[in-house]
Amino acid sequence: MAKKVLIVDDDISTVKFLTAALEENGYEALQAYNGREGLEKIESENPDLVLLDVMMPKKTGFVLIKQLRRNEKYKDLPVIMLTGVAEVLEDLDAQSGDTHERPYDSLREVLRKTIKEMRDEGLLNPDMFIDKPIDPELIIAKIKELIGT
Amino acid sequence: MLGRIPIFWKLSAAFLFIVFLVFAADFLLERVDDLAFKGNQRIVFIIVLAVALSSGSAWFFVIRFIKRPINRLAEGMNKLAEKEFDYRLEEDDKDEFGSLASSFNDMASMLSAFLVELKKTRDYLQSVLESSADIIITVNPSGHIQTINAGAEKALGYQRLEVIGQHIEKFFADPKDRDLAIAQLEYSDDVVNYETQFLTKEGKAKDVLLTISRLRNPTGEIIGTIGISKDITEEKRLQNQLIQSQRLAAIGEVFTGIQHSLKNMLNACKGGSYMVRTGLAKDDRKMLEEGWEIVQQGIERMTDMSTDMLKYVKEWKPRFDKVDLAQVLSEIYRVIKQTAKDKGVKIRLNISRELPSLICDARMIYSAVMDIVSNALDACLWKDYGEGEVPEVSIGAYKIPDRRELVIEVKDNGCGMTEEVKANIFTPFFSTKSKAGTGLGLSITSRMINIHNGRIDVESEPDRGTVFRIALPLDTISGNQERIDGKKSPDS
Repeated sequence: MAKKVLIVDDDISTVKFLTAALEENGYEALQAYNGREGLEKIESENPDLVLLDVMMPKKTGFVLIKQLRRNEKYKDLPVIMLTGVAEVLEDLDAQSGDTHERPYDSLREVLRKTIKEMRDEGLLNPDMFIDKPIDPELIIAKIKELIGT
Repeated sequence: MLGRIPIFWKLSAAFLFIVFLVFAADFLLERVDDLAFKGNQRIVFIIVLAVALSSGSAWFFVIRFIKRPINRLAEGMNKLAEKEFDYRLEEDDKDEFGSLASSFNDMASMLSAFLVELKKTRDYLQSVLESSADIIITVNPSGHIQTINAGAEKALGYQRLEVIGQHIEKFFADPKDRDLAIAQLEYSDDVVNYETQFLTKEGKAKDVLLTISRLRNPTGEIIGTIGISKDITEEKRLQNQLIQSQRLAAIGEVFTGIQHSLKNMLNACKGGSYMVRTGLAKDDRKMLEEGWEIVQQGIERMTDMSTDMLKYVKEWKPRFDKVDLAQVLSEIYRVIKQTAKDKGVKIRLNISRELPSLICDARMIYSAVMDIVSNALDACLWKDYGEGEVPEVSIGAYKIPDRRELVIEVKDNGCGMTEEVKANIFTPFFSTKSKAGTGLGLSITSRMINIHNGRIDVESEPDRGTVFRIALPLDTISGNQERIDGKKSPDS
């Protein structure tokens, strides 16, 4: 039986294309268009892996992943987050504390805070991020690595 | 002893004494009648004696009681003239000269006290000038330096003696600056905080804030000018640095925003082209068409962004007219009602009756309010509503009593904003909606409101909702009078 991958993203184009790429590689693709729907689908469909966008209506990706990680049942559910955090992580590593501020980067400031918080709680695995624009080959390779075919 | 008696009494006493002596002589001569003097001879002798005694005592008086005190007084005057202000006369005599000496001494004391006071004031002023870090220079009416303080020496690197008598012009980096300042002095008695540059001895330019005032003597005659300058070279440098870093920060913010938007558009193109490629390879027409549509959407969004960017930077020429705001808001309500219904959001319109008409550019106000209403709808879609809660947006307008201002209020019970987000909503390219919009909406809206001399206030609480209030003045738009009252501007 094909492995189930749930796509949670409010952008219909991204959902469509990820669906195509997944099906092309023999996975069953499930779709959710906001955070709340994502949680419902996880509970009802029990997917093998979740592709999770960050900026979404009704629960952002970060809120959802925190809920999953704190839940005994889903704490090991593989999740790939569709956002770029490599730079943020590098930044965080380079600093002893969070005193350093880049004044022009208020957009990322919120993201930095959340990521730092998650890392401090041990909820964050740097491997689980893929930045947009998503490269189809790359994401399929990552999924294969995590759950096989 | 004699000094205690006034001169008048001294003279009277002397006169009586002489009269007594003459009578005494006469009496004695009578006794010696039988000797040498007889008849007329005695009278002649007595007269001669009286005259001799009178002139002798007069001479004695003049020397003893008048000439000497006058000499002493003259000497005192001379001492004062030689600035020996401590010199005092003896006040032993109680006669007129004694009181004159006492007056002289009082005067001398007053003079020396006054001089001490004057010196104190002068020293104080001098030390104020000297200890001031400001550059203080006085020049005479022909523009030649008369005094400079230590602050000036230090700031400009000159010694006092090197510059006194020099023309002030050569200390200005650009002599025209001085001409301008002096020209301004013709109209008022001072020029305040005039920004210019001085040249130091080494030829370096120093930024200064110069205040020039006319110097007048007590009769009001102009005796030159005083210039007090504050060295602001360091402030200028820091200010430039700040401007530079603010500029960098603004550019950084914009770049981050653009990059964010671009990333999402590229994502659509990349995903779409993957589907086109796969569709072609597998001869799957449906996938090909879907993929192509996604690519086109990406292109469309880039076009939108490019249009918005142009709109943002272009010069805006508002067309002001008398506008019925209720009509504008009703139109927005009519357009948005169906969209809201489709998205399950309840929308309401509350316009207070007898809303006065407004002078504004109706299209701008329409577009600004529409932008805020669309955001309010989005905020509702983003929120995870609990049981019994209904997504709701209300559009309202009212006049503030006692103020010539109208307020447009757009209220939602949507997802709200954190402080960080709220602080950035008017920043170009700042967006929380990564897949929609260009991040320019509210920046454009706030510019439109600024053109109307209005304000936007925002109140927001995460998960509770947001209120946007646009306050517009009823009639403070100036310079557009010819376009008011329905007359269309030529380009409308």
